[in-house]
Amino acid sequence: MIIDINAALGHYPFRALRSNSADQMIALMERNGIARAVVSSLHAVFYRDAHRGNEELWAEAQPHGDRFIPVATVNPKYAGWERDLAEAVEKWKARAIAVVPEHHGYGLNDEHGRAVLARISEYGVPVVLTQRFEDRRQRHRWDAAEDLQMAALLQAARNQPRLRFLLVNWQGLDGRQLANAGLKGRCLIDFARLQVVFRKDVPKLIDTLGVESIAFGSHMPFDYVGPSLVKLENIERLRPADYEAIAWRNAARFLGLGE
Amino acid sequence: MSLDRRKFLQRAGAGLAFGLAPIRGAQRERPANPGRPLSPSSGVGLPKSWREMRKLDAHNHVFTPVHRPNANWSEVENLVEAAEVLGIAKLFCSHPIVGGALVEIETVRDANNSVLAAMKRHPQRIAGYCFVQPGNGPAALDEMDRCLDAGMIGVKLYNQFKYSDPAVFPIAEKCIARGIPFLGHSAFLTDPRALAGQPKTSHALDFCALARRYPELLLILGHINGGGDWEWEIKGLRDCPGVFLDTSGSVLEDDTIERCVKELGHERVLFATDSTMEGCVGKVLSADLTAAQREDIFWRNFQRILDRRRS
Repeated sequence: MIIDINAALGHYPFRALRSNSADQMIALMERNGIARAVVSSLHAVFYRDAHRGNEELWAEAQPHGDRFIPVATVNPKYAGWERDLAEAVEKWKARAIAVVPEHHGYGLNDEHGRAVLARISEYGVPVVLTQRFEDRRQRHRWDAAEDLQMAALLQAARNQPRLRFLLVNWQGLDGRQLANAGLKGRCLIDFARLQVVFRKDVPKLIDTLGVESIAFGSHMPFDYVGPSLVKLENIERLRPADYEAIAWRNAARFLGLGE
Repeated sequence: MSLDRRKFLQRAGAGLAFGLAPIRGAQRERPANPGRPLSPSSGVGLPKSWREMRKLDAHNHVFTPVHRPNANWSEVENLVEAAEVLGIAKLFCSHPIVGGALVEIETVRDANNSVLAAMKRHPQRIAGYCFVQPGNGPAALDEMDRCLDAGMIGVKLYNQFKYSDPAVFPIAEKCIARGIPFLGHSAFLTDPRALAGQPKTSHALDFCALARRYPELLLILGHINGGGDWEWEIKGLRDCPGVFLDTSGSVLEDDTIERCVKELGHERVLFATDSTMEGCVGKVLSADLTAAQREDIFWRNFQRILDRRRS
């Protein structure tokens, strides 16, 4: 079984995406043997009122039962965001909450970032931080977002010592620094932009943070799924005992999905 | 992970790079829903026997100065190890001077010597491109001869000069004379900071200009997914049928390979990784291609280029 922790539904303003509707993504998952996917809404990133994107996401995911694990995106600079967050967690039973500070115009550690992370921490659900949706070198002239930086992540981890972090589409993470910031045991990192062989990013993170810190992620529908399937098969060859943990068990445990 | 290469290969079962044990993992276990019985013949996931598919990596690098005494070979060994695991038969490597720096010919020779050392250590797995800078003048042409006579198969240019610059023409002419490929660093950078860092990086239209001047040149646009607007690059190549492109780069965006094939024809598309080895193998495996197209992209198209070399 595979659980993909790095997926999104909806339109992206700057590039056509295939497989970005729920039905299309289910077909993509079927073709690639992915049982379940953690999905957030791209519309929630770009709408002024992010919660309208969340509403769409829940409506779109609902007919597909447990195939999708929808994640709500909260904008702490928007009126009534606390109520939106409460609805997502308490009524919709969101397993995690995403924030996109670069797109919504604040910093992870400014007053808005601290407020939203503190509230997410109080709810006891993980926060989802996507380092970037696209490579910055191809940015559209209206695309002003920068990549999230590890230094800001480390500071946020220190500011919120009980908050758990789902880190998707990251590259350049230093396991020792993450551990020093108290993230060992409270972060889950997908390997969509990491390497198992050659650069050995994944084995290095396992050495410092433990295998429980790594999970399958593909960044579909932005990216091909095949690269992550290749990495998973290499995990199985190199570290067969870790295969199931990375394929799905870590994600299920981290998100409280049961087994 | 601290496995040495021998242990790695033993554990990976990859000592016989193209005779690997039956693949498990995503092919073995792909339920549509948790708990649903598996169907090994379902055709879900990666194509069967993907590791055994022959692959030639047309764009990779050796950046470590392994030709010097007491060299650290770990980068090269990791490269070779990854190629074995992924079923990449041969890596075509260069050592360009990056960052836009224009250096003396001695520095260029030193860079190329690292590739020659890696070729000598792994002759079955590593082949070389000769990095040259047009700004070195006749010395650059001499360096091409030195590298080619030592067994390299082509030249690699970086971003010191636009390829439409006349300084590049003698190098192109020598490539034609020797029948070798010219692999060029490329990107259409839309990010102002990235562009400011390498203002002379060539894009598709620069390649087209060179190809129009030298239609017989075996010109390869490097790393379509190396950062920059790859859709622009593909469209820019449509009217330049003589230019190939390679699939390498750290960007793994869906539909890249299919757009290349649709707009340019699969015969112009060459598999490569530029160090993103698992990702770039996975891209070609995921792409909606016929088996014959995939085989051509993985190795036949580049082999045809290699077969055109003259001694």
